[in-house]
Amino acid sequence: MLRLLATIRKEWQLLVRDKTGLTLLFLMPVVLITVMALIQDAPFKDYQEVKFDILTVDNDHGRLGRHIREGLASGGQFRIIDSLDGKPLTAEQARQLVNEGTYKISIIIPAGATGNIVSNANRIVNDISHRMGMSLALPVKQNADSLDVTIYFDPAAKKAFKGAIHQAIDNFLTQVETDMLLGRIRQELRRKDSSVTASNDTLPIRLQAVGLKEEATGTGKQIDVISNSVQHNVPAWSIFAMFFIVIPIAGNMIREREDGSLLRMKLIPGSYLEILLGKMLFFVGICVVQFYCMMLVGMYIMPLLDLPKLVMGRDAGATFLVAAAIGLAATSYGILIGTLFKTPNQALNFGAISIVILSAIGGIWIPLEVMPQKMQAIGHLSPLSWGLDAINDIYLRNGNIAYVWKNVVLLIVTGLVMLAVAGYVEKRRMN
Amino acid sequence: MSSIAVKELYKTYTGAEEPTLKGLTFSFRKGSIAGLLGPNGAGKTTTISILCGLVKASSGEVLINGLSQDAAHREAIKQQIGVVPQRIALYPQLSAVENLTYFGNLYGYRGKGLKARIMELLEAFGLEKSADKEIHKFSGGMKRRANIIAAILHQPSLLVLDEPTAGVDVQSRSMILQFLREYNSQGNSILYTSHLLEEAQSLCSDVAIVDQGRLIVQGNPDQLIHDLPDCENLEDVFLHYTGHALRD
Repeated sequence: MLRLLATIRKEWQLLVRDKTGLTLLFLMPVVLITVMALIQDAPFKDYQEVKFDILTVDNDHGRLGRHIREGLASGGQFRIIDSLDGKPLTAEQARQLVNEGTYKISIIIPAGATGNIVSNANRIVNDISHRMGMSLALPVKQNADSLDVTIYFDPAAKKAFKGAIHQAIDNFLTQVETDMLLGRIRQELRRKDSSVTASNDTLPIRLQAVGLKEEATGTGKQIDVISNSVQHNVPAWSIFAMFFIVIPIAGNMIREREDGSLLRMKLIPGSYLEILLGKMLFFVGICVVQFYCMMLVGMYIMPLLDLPKLVMGRDAGATFLVAAAIGLAATSYGILIGTLFKTPNQALNFGAISIVILSAIGGIWIPLEVMPQKMQAIGHLSPLSWGLDAINDIYLRNGNIAYVWKNVVLLIVTGLVMLAVAGYVEKRRMN
Repeated sequence: MSSIAVKELYKTYTGAEEPTLKGLTFSFRKGSIAGLLGPNGAGKTTTISILCGLVKASSGEVLINGLSQDAAHREAIKQQIGVVPQRIALYPQLSAVENLTYFGNLYGYRGKGLKARIMELLEAFGLEKSADKEIHKFSGGMKRRANIIAAILHQPSLLVLDEPTAGVDVQSRSMILQFLREYNSQGNSILYTSHLLEEAQSLCSDVAIVDQGRLIVQGNPDQLIHDLPDCENLEDVFLHYTGHALRD
């Protein structure tokens, strides 16, 4: 125990004198997560909080145009612009402005669109009445040309954004057409049955019997926190920074080998494993402190920069366990690199580049879900992705140890395997 | 009784074409200051590494104070042996006291006893005023002295030194040699390697000259000089046996 504690104290003494190491371990990650959260805040807000201006040209001046405008405005995500410099917008102006990228989207509602819908509804009601043996002749257009609501998108608009707008407009069209058709049917029913009045007509209520409502899968409020910049970037880049501990660890081990202090340690009676364990415990501890420092930044500094506050899950014990498991894997990787490479330069280059690669494929930069299938399969082999998955399970799904134990085991086993390889290589050096 | 006895020692490193040690055999009696001398590549460092248990011999026998280098005695041998490596095996960013406290703790010493031992040794080596100075701020001679202190914290009965005076000034060298004589006078054995043959001649009671992994000659320096009429000092004896060809 004395050897273990002495090693922890020695590592602490070395670290506090190493200003560069301290900067690398604590200051750089804070800067990194802050910058990444700020940079990625806008893309994350694209479909959530950012208000888009929609150029709207309503040549219909009827119910359809009003419904589309009200529908888009009611969501709070779009600002309807139908005039520029006090003059009503024309279809050509709208097309030009979107093409130039001044606006992202424009909707042109053609003249007579509502008339077309009304005529279509009348035609259906006439048809139903005729089949039911009733004589009814609501007015219909003789030339029922199909009309289209035209949408212009900024050529640079993302596919998902286009899809969402398409869907929304299509819904408004369907809703107006359905409302009009039901209105006509209701009107005719009331005409035939005098006991049905506006106050006791239950048809609309019955038609709205099945609605759509989003609910959380867990017990928390995670729907609000999913996919914001802080919630992705703070844990993701914290894990990345934790793995960067391989640089000081590998450097520390190579220096010990070069300056002979490793040799001195091996000459002293007792197991070298105890010394290595002390070193590991110290660096795992540093990783955990690093992790919580960055979580604090996410909770208290990010909001000061107009970013969302980081929401941690409900199981503090599971979070600690995951942080410690990530720290163990990162520390073991550092020890392996420090054992395999002979010079600090080799270790620095290999360590840094390998972590960048592991983080890129492990979903730190962009979520694994948006990667091609093959890359996703490869990405799931990265220890960084195991760590991130586990943290997301706790933070976003309000998971507990039952959610994360598999990833924790993977991290620990990988760490132990790396230590075993390092031990084997070190032992071979005796031969 | 021998402090060190080496018999038919062979060592071939993995991937090496030729063995580094080819049946090396020598022994030094307990309580002596012995010199292991040889040109570069003779196998001195490999021999010391095997004696200390850092490298495994391919074959042969090694006895330290009568104990064989097997798993059962490895820890006991480590307790009896103190090694001063050629490199300054200390943490440059830590002070002398911090370094010595750490290595003392690894030996199992702690508290006031360890502190007193450290201060006693720092004083003996003239480093008491620099006790709290970081090692990287030490001069070459101060580093060498601190390096020796770290090896004798646990009072080993056999002290192995690999070129302990390389690159130090005259004053530091004089102090180190004086210390070695005193340490030896307390009944401890010393094994010493050096390329400074004048120093070895004055210090050692027994020397073994090795070359190309084999023992060339062993004996008291004065006797070895006496045995070769055309040799006036140990350097002449060394050149007589190892030749003038340059070694890389």
